[in-house]
Amino acid sequence: MPDTVLSIRDLRVYFNIRAGTVRAVDGVDLDIAEGEKLGLVGESGSGKTTTALAIMRMIKPPGEIAGGTIQLDGRDLVGLSEPEMRAVRGNDVAMVPQAAMNALNPVRRIRSQMLDGLRDHGVNESRERTEERLTTLVAQVGLNSNVLNLFPHELSGGMKQRVTIAMAICHKPRLILADEPTSALDVVVQRQVMETLEEVRSEIGAAVILVGHDMGLMAQFADRIGVMYAGKLVELATVEQIFSNPRHPYTRLLISSLPDTAGKRRLEGIPGLPPSLLEVPPGCPFMPRCPEAMDICSVDVPELSGEVDMVSCHLHTEAATV
Amino acid sequence: MTATAETITATSTTNGASSSLLELSNVTQIFSSGPFWNREHNYAVNDVSFTLSDKPALITAVAGESGSGKTTLGRIMLGFQRPSLGQVLYRGDDVAEMNAAGRKQYRRQVQAIFQDPFSVYNPFYKVDHIFTVAIARYKLASSRDQARHLIEEAISGVGLRPSETLGRYPHQLSGGQRQRVMVARSLLLKPEVIIADEPVSMVDASLRATILETLRTLNHELGIAILYITHDLTTAYQVADNIMIMYRGHVVEAGDVEHVINDPKHPYTRLLVQSIPMPDPNRRWADMRGVNDPPFTGIDVTPTMCPFVNRCPDAIANCAEQVPSTYAIDEHRISKCFLYEDAGTVSNANIASYFNIRESSPNSNGAEAKI
Repeated sequence: MPDTVLSIRDLRVYFNIRAGTVRAVDGVDLDIAEGEKLGLVGESGSGKTTTALAIMRMIKPPGEIAGGTIQLDGRDLVGLSEPEMRAVRGNDVAMVPQAAMNALNPVRRIRSQMLDGLRDHGVNESRERTEERLTTLVAQVGLNSNVLNLFPHELSGGMKQRVTIAMAICHKPRLILADEPTSALDVVVQRQVMETLEEVRSEIGAAVILVGHDMGLMAQFADRIGVMYAGKLVELATVEQIFSNPRHPYTRLLISSLPDTAGKRRLEGIPGLPPSLLEVPPGCPFMPRCPEAMDICSVDVPELSGEVDMVSCHLHTEAATV
Repeated sequence: MTATAETITATSTTNGASSSLLELSNVTQIFSSGPFWNREHNYAVNDVSFTLSDKPALITAVAGESGSGKTTLGRIMLGFQRPSLGQVLYRGDDVAEMNAAGRKQYRRQVQAIFQDPFSVYNPFYKVDHIFTVAIARYKLASSRDQARHLIEEAISGVGLRPSETLGRYPHQLSGGQRQRVMVARSLLLKPEVIIADEPVSMVDASLRATILETLRTLNHELGIAILYITHDLTTAYQVADNIMIMYRGHVVEAGDVEHVINDPKHPYTRLLVQSIPMPDPNRRWADMRGVNDPPFTGIDVTPTMCPFVNRCPDAIANCAEQVPSTYAIDEHRISKCFLYEDAGTVSNANIASYFNIRESSPNSNGAEAKI
C-alpha cells in the first residue's frame, strides 16, 4: 500500500451570504495515495471545484473553511498561516486551471510569467541555468522552446494549457489539482493535453485530482472516481467498479445519460435539479430525484461506507445489515 | 436593385413544392488579416455546397475542431455573414438580394440556438421578454391571453413548467433551463430550420441528454430541419442522421452518421473518432497509442495543398501538390482525400445528395403535431 499524500477529514466549506449559509462542501472525507489519479465528478454546484480550491486554501470570502482537516504528508493545511501556505502552493500542491486563456497574463511573454513562479519560490540561479530549466520544462510538455518568447495570444488553446501544466510542475509538486483542464478544447487536443499531463505526472510521481463533469474523460484518465452531489461524496470507488457496477443511483444515471457511438438510443437525462445548498432538506440530498427512493431516504442521511469501494445510499446500508 | 420585383413575387410563394429550404451554393468565406503588403487570407469555409431540405426534414451535424469553419458555416446560413463567394438560397431566393419582407420571413423561418445560454439573455429583463418580443415582431397573437397561451405551450413543449419558468430573471434559472427556454423560443416561432451551434457544450452532462432529446423531438414530430454544429462526435452520432466533418474550411468527409463515425475513411475523421474519450475504462487512449499520433511534419500548408497534409499519417507526395477533389466512396459517403481517388470525382458536389434519408420521415403538416 503506497503512502497517503493527502488526507481530508470532514471538510466543510461554507459561504455566509445574506440569505444564510451555503454549505458548498459538507463533510467530505478523502484519502489520496502517492501517485494516484483521482477523478472528482459532479454537476455544477456539487462542490467539486470548491473542494479543490479548499486544498489550495484559495476559498475567498464570504466563503470559509468551516471545519475539518486537510493533511498533506501529515501536515494540516487548514491551520497554516498565509505565508506558510504560500510556500506550500506551487511547491507541494499545484493547480492547472480551467481556462488557460484567463490564467495567463496577456501582456507578458511566457518566459517572464514562468520566471515569476520560479523566483517566488526562491529559485535564484544564473541566467543560463534558469534558461536551461525553462527549456526543459516546456520540452516536458511537448512544446518548442520558442514559445517562451511568445505572448499568450500567439498560442493555441492546447499550447496555453500545456504552458499552465509546465508551470504547475516546475517545483515537482506532490499533488496536482487539475480543474477541468480541457473543457475548452476539442477532442484531439484534449487527448493530447491529457496524455501530456499523464506523462509529466508519472515522471515526477505526483498524485492528481482531476475535477470535471465529463465521465468519458474520467474513464480515460482516473484510477479512482469520487462522485459528488450537493456538497457530499456519494460514491468513491475504482474506475472499473464505477463503470461496471455503479452502486449509487446518481452515479448510475450519470453514466446512462452519456451518449456513445454503439447504436442510437433514447437519451435519458436526470430529471429534476440539484437542491439549493442554502436549505438542505433532511435526509438524502438526492432523494427528490432518485428513481429508487424509499421512506427512510427522506429522514435519514446515509453515511459513506465501505472498505475500498464506498457508497452513501440506503439501498446499500440495508443490504449490509441484512 | 432590379431584383426587388422578382424577389417579391418569389417570396410570396413560399409554400412552393421545392424541398430545398436552405441551400449553400459553392460558398467560400475568406477572412483576411495583416497589412496590405502582407495580407493573409484564411479560408474559413472553402467551396461548400449543401442543402437543408424540408421533405424530409433531417438533422445534419457539422463537426470539427475549433477553427474548422463550422461556426462560420452556421453564421452564413443564418444570414449573419455574407459569404465572400457563392450564394445562400432560402427557398430558391438569394438571401443577399432579399427585400425587407423576404428577409423578415427568412429570419423567422431560420432560427438559431447558440452555445452560451448565459450571454444570449439581457439580464435586466425577465425571460418572458424573449417571447413577447418575438410575438410582437411577427404579430403572432391578437391578445395578451393568446400570447400567454402561446408562450406556455412552447415552454411545456420543451419539458419545462411554465409556472416555474415565466416571470423569472435569467440568473434564477439553471444553465440547462436557460438553454431549453431558447429552444422554446424557437418552437414558438415554428420555424422550418433550426441552426444549433454547440447547444449543449456549456451545459452539465446530466442535462445534455434532455436538451438533445428535445431537439430530436422537434425534428421528428414537427418536421423542423436541424443543423447541429458540434465538436462532440458522440452527441452528433446520437442526434443526427448525417454528418459533415470539417477541417480548415473543407468538408473532408460527409455521409450517414452511422458509417462516418463507426467506419471513418478520411484520416482526420479517424483521428477525431479515436480521440473520443469513451466512457469505458477498458478502452483507453493509451491502448491506441502510436496508431493515431499525428506526425506534425514541418510542411507549411498553403491553400494549394490538402489542408491536413502536415498531420496526416497517410500523406503521399500528391497531397502537398494539390487540393484533393471530393470523391464518392459509395452512394452515402464522400471524402476529400486522395486515398479514395479511384472512387471517382463527384461532379456535382452538393453534399446533401449523398445523405441518407431517414425512413420514417415526419408528415408534411407536422407543425400541428403535439410534442
